Amino acid sequence: MKMKEDEKWQSLLLSSAPTFVGDTTLPYGFLTSTLARLKEEKKEREQLEKIGLRALIASMVVLVVTVGVTLSLKFQNQSDLEPGIRSLIQVENVSLS
Amino acid sequence: MDQSSDITICLQQWKKGNEDAAEELVRHLYPFISRIVRTHLPRRDHEEDLIQEILMKTFSRLHQYKGDAPLSHWVSRLALTTCLDRLRAQKIRPEIRWADLSPEDQDVFDASWLEGSSPDASEAIQARDLLDKILSTLSPEDRSLILMTDLEGQSMEEISIATGWGISKIKMRLFRIRTQLRKTMQNLKERL
Repeated sequence: MKMKEDEKWQSLLLSSAPTFVGDTTLPYGFLTSTLARLKEEKKEREQLEKIGLRALIASMVVLVVTVGVTLSLKFQNQSDLEPGIRSLIQVENVSLS
Repeated sequence: MDQSSDITICLQQWKKGNEDAAEELVRHLYPFISRIVRTHLPRRDHEEDLIQEILMKTFSRLHQYKGDAPLSHWVSRLALTTCLDRLRAQKIRPEIRWADLSPEDQDVFDASWLEGSSPDASEAIQARDLLDKILSTLSPEDRSLILMTDLEGQSMEEISIATGWGISKIKMRLFRIRTQLRKTMQNLKERL
C-alpha cells in the first residue's frame, strides 16, 4: 500500500509538472548568438591548431639540428686524442688505424 | 523523412564543414536540451546560458560521436552531466523543516488542489517552488534520479544509458532517496 507521504509527493510532482515542460521555440536572438559564438570558437580552435602545428615543426627542426650537431661532435671526438696520449703513441711507434 | 534521419544528414553536413547545418542542428536540439535543463535544474536558473553552454559542448565534441547510438542519447548524457556540474556548485540543505517554508509554501503543502484537481499556471509555479525546496535536500545525482523516474517515467535501462550507472546501483539509490523523501514529507506534515 502506498504511504500518505508518497501520495503527497506524487501530487506535488503532478501539480508542478507544467513547469518542467521545455520550450519548443527558440527565444529571440538565441540562434544568432549561438551561431556567432560557435563561429568564434571554431576560429579560435583553428588558430590554436595552427600555432600548435608551427610549434611542432619548430621543435622538430630544433631536434634534427641537435641530433646533427651531437653526431658530428661524436665522430670528431673519436680521432681527437689528448696530446699526452698522442705523444705516447708516437714514442711507442704504435700505428694508428 | 523522420526527425532522426534529418539530424543524421545535418550531422554529416556539419562534419563536412557545412556551416548552415549548424543552424539546423541548433533548431533540432534546442527543445530536447531545454526539456532536460528545465527538469534537472531548479526554476530561475539561467536556462538560456546553460542551453547555449551545452550546445557549445555538443558541437566541440561532435567528432567524438561515433553514431553507434542515437544522437539524442549522446546529447542527453552531455546535458545531464552539465546540469549536475551546475547543481554541484549549489548548496545542499541538510534537511527542510516546516519553519523553513514561507507562508506561501505552507499554503501549497496544505492546498486541496494538490489532491487530484488540475492546478492553474500560478499554482503550478507555487508547487514547483516548494518542490525545488524539498529537492534541495538531495544530492545533485539523487535529485536527477528521482525526477527521471517519478516525473519523466523513464525505465531503469533508459536511466542507465543516461547516467552510465548500473541497474542495481540505480535501484539502491532510489530506495534510499524514497526513504529520505518520506521522512521529509512526514516532518512537514507533522509541522516539525
